[in-house]
Amino acid sequence: MFDFIIAGIEAPWFLLVLTGMTVGMVGGFIGVGGGYMVTPALIVFGFPGYMASGIDMTHIAGKSVVATVRHRQLGNIDWVLGMAMVGGTMLGVEQGVRLLTLTKNYGLSGVILLTTSVLVMIGLFVYTQVETQAATKKTQKMEKEGVKVGREVMTSNVPAFFQRISLYPIVRCRTARIVISMWVIVLVGAITGVLAGFLGVGGGFVRVPALVYIVGATTHIAVGTDLLEIVVSGGYGALRHSMMGNVDFVAVLFMIVGAMFGAQFGSIATSYVRGPAIRYILSYSLILATVGAFLRLAYMLTGGKYDVLSFLAVVFTLGEMFFLCFFIMSLVLFAVRYQNGKSVPDWIPSLVVKK
Amino acid sequence: MKWLYNSMIGYWITLLSISLVIAALIYIYWLKDKL
Repeated sequence: MFDFIIAGIEAPWFLLVLTGMTVGMVGGFIGVGGGYMVTPALIVFGFPGYMASGIDMTHIAGKSVVATVRHRQLGNIDWVLGMAMVGGTMLGVEQGVRLLTLTKNYGLSGVILLTTSVLVMIGLFVYTQVETQAATKKTQKMEKEGVKVGREVMTSNVPAFFQRISLYPIVRCRTARIVISMWVIVLVGAITGVLAGFLGVGGGFVRVPALVYIVGATTHIAVGTDLLEIVVSGGYGALRHSMMGNVDFVAVLFMIVGAMFGAQFGSIATSYVRGPAIRYILSYSLILATVGAFLRLAYMLTGGKYDVLSFLAVVFTLGEMFFLCFFIMSLVLFAVRYQNGKSVPDWIPSLVVKK
Repeated sequence: MKWLYNSMIGYWITLLSISLVIAALIYIYWLKDKL
């Protein structure tokens, strides 16, 4: 146990390092900040809610720098796309926070917040799962026919529609290899920013699918570019939280020690897998976070009478982080085995990259 | 048993079960008194 003076609590320091490492790995792999996993976990460890948010945001900013540097080395960042999104996102976040204040004034913020959060997560999970399974089947069919399959396979026609919109200025995103109206990128950033500001999260779990399914970037570019965006928005959030006294920097330090290793591994892991594998992990993180939220809500709505609900909510909150990490490590292990000609499960070849 | 490894859903269930058991042990040994 360690005495965190600013937070005013004692907490197991190794759990902070472990949380930083696991969420760092997941964040580096699917391009999210991980706030929807970390904040509930920090509350479970004993940190007050406002401090959990501040510590989370500050650690996200630091971890995202590590992951972004690694993704830049892997060639997964489109600077034009990233900078255009930052503008839209900042605008959207401000409107989202105002919308939240409006619902708070009517006394409805809790209900609307949870409902919106659940609907968005379930909607994204369903769409991502359906599309990714179709993409996996398409990959298997192409491999059977002897067609060479690249790193990205996507079946959605929605990006083609948005790329045809010819509102000036039209930008050429060289790394992402797309030509698209800048207003589409700004609008995507603004809408995802509104959701992020309203739900009080970083928004990566909405932005990455938006970059893939609306703008038409490959999953790897979407992950790297979103992490760049998180560096900017997370950095600003960290500054604001620390000005409000919401940050215990020793706790942040413990988390970043773990995140330094986790984020590097997660980022490098993307080079072993195809786009559908990243989208699968993203969809799993969404559905598990939704289940965890439901359990916490059930415990609250029953007036805290049933301890088993609290136990399940805590176990799910921690368990989902470990599950996602183990899955990512498994994918890398199976990818290395597959590249060396060793036996792997039947579902692996369509998800990993051949040398 | 092979289904737990050769099928994606089976592997998902296996990993989730292991993760939840580890989380439960962490809760019981280090966090139970805090809540």
